Amino acid sequence: MKFFVLKLLALMLFGFATLHANAEVHHAEATEALSTHKEESYHTKPLDEMIGGFLKSTGVSALINPDPDELNAQGEQMSEFHKSWGRVIMILLTFFLFWLAIKKGFEPLLLLPIAFGGLLANIPVAGIAGEHGFLGVIYNMGLSNELFPILIFMGVGAMTDFGPLLSNPKTALLGGAAQFGIFGTLVGAVALSQMGFVDFTLQQASAISIIGGADGPTSIFIATKLAPELLGAIAVASYSYMAMVPIIQPPIMKALTTDAERKIKMTTLRHVSRLEKLIFPIMVLVLAILVLPESTPLIGAFMFGNFLKESGVVERLNDTLQNALINIVTIFLGLGVGSKLAADQFLVPDTMFIMALGIIAFSVGTAAGVLMAKIMNLFPGNKINPLIGSAGVSAVPMAARVSNKVGMEYDRSNMLLMHAMGPNVAGVIGSAVAAGVLISLFQ
Amino acid sequence: METNLIAEGFKFMALGMGTVFLFLIILIVCMNAMSAILHKYFPEPQPGVTPDVASKQDNKKIIAAITAAIAHHRQA
Repeated sequence: MKFFVLKLLALMLFGFATLHANAEVHHAEATEALSTHKEESYHTKPLDEMIGGFLKSTGVSALINPDPDELNAQGEQMSEFHKSWGRVIMILLTFFLFWLAIKKGFEPLLLLPIAFGGLLANIPVAGIAGEHGFLGVIYNMGLSNELFPILIFMGVGAMTDFGPLLSNPKTALLGGAAQFGIFGTLVGAVALSQMGFVDFTLQQASAISIIGGADGPTSIFIATKLAPELLGAIAVASYSYMAMVPIIQPPIMKALTTDAERKIKMTTLRHVSRLEKLIFPIMVLVLAILVLPESTPLIGAFMFGNFLKESGVVERLNDTLQNALINIVTIFLGLGVGSKLAADQFLVPDTMFIMALGIIAFSVGTAAGVLMAKIMNLFPGNKINPLIGSAGVSAVPMAARVSNKVGMEYDRSNMLLMHAMGPNVAGVIGSAVAAGVLISLFQ
Repeated sequence: METNLIAEGFKFMALGMGTVFLFLIILIVCMNAMSAILHKYFPEPQPGVTPDVASKQDNKKIIAAITAAIAHHRQA
């Protein structure tokens, strides 16, 4: 027995030794191959040539005297301007966006990652936004296939409370009216290209008009589907206008309402049972399946998040959706969108028109919501304060807060916040439906 | 391009707004129907039936009272 064990041990040792020797031989061969390869590609150079070569590879040289063969992230030729001054301008623009996000508090959660992504995307030579750069990898991982906006929608769903809508269902109409901003702008955009100012295709016009839905993830979803070349401008317009809701909306709201209307007090919201809240997401999804399956990616994700929340039995998943997941995806989404702020894609005349059309879309949506509330007040029933109509543009919960704030300016005891949340969340559903319509039209 | 893009845009608008409103109107009808059915066949357990639910609702009432008090204080 002892002999047998010894023999086994010896055998193992022998085996190990041969294996090791083999490995060493391989290793030696590999090193040799590497060194010959190195000798082939590396020639000794005098020091001045080395310094000259290094200077040519600096960012200063690349900006002043760009490489004529350099291609953009899509592998196309770029103009001289986009490679040199365009990049400088874009980098300065991202600094301005930093200032807006940090000093002015404009949606910093998204604007900062977007702006930093833009800064990285405009670095010459490094090609960070290219196919193999990390921004390019992020873009291809979740933006070009529309994954990130969907994940964001799950998180938003988990954060949304449909209670106010359920207790006053008719306010959903306000969320519908605000979508007029989308389609009104669509007409505006095609009119502009018909008159020859710009050359937007119907797809591009649709992607721009969705800014009026005031819903960041939906805008990104539609832009990547219909007009990926405009994604950077659309996303920046969408998020910066969403951040400016407290500035854009109040003048429009005040212009369209009378003093008496602004002081209308709405009846207290009734209590909504847990069962109602639990059934609601499934009901909306079933309706979406029946009416417009094209909208179900967005609505499905939204309702999934909400269902997890309302079920009350998966607190851990709900918590992850609301916090960890949405935070991680926000970082990736922002950087990925930022990669589209490369000079050759952003510094084009189209961007100016997109910015202009975007703010028109926002204003028209706000006005339509307010006017819809006034129309609804012509019918018998509980009166609606028209100020909550503006909350029909999705921008949750910013738009609802604006309604509340303007209402309080005229009557300090008039709490409109919860009433405005109804049209606000209906606006999210409405813009997802509008997005579904636009997608289905181009199938 | 000889197609009238503006006319095309208006067609999109009619269809789009139509669908959005149709969807939301059906949704409103369903919401009302659902709450009616639930209130009739599955009424919420009354406070006091089970001590657990009662305490939760009492908590909510207390929270509501505190919120109202804060709001009142802020206005003053």
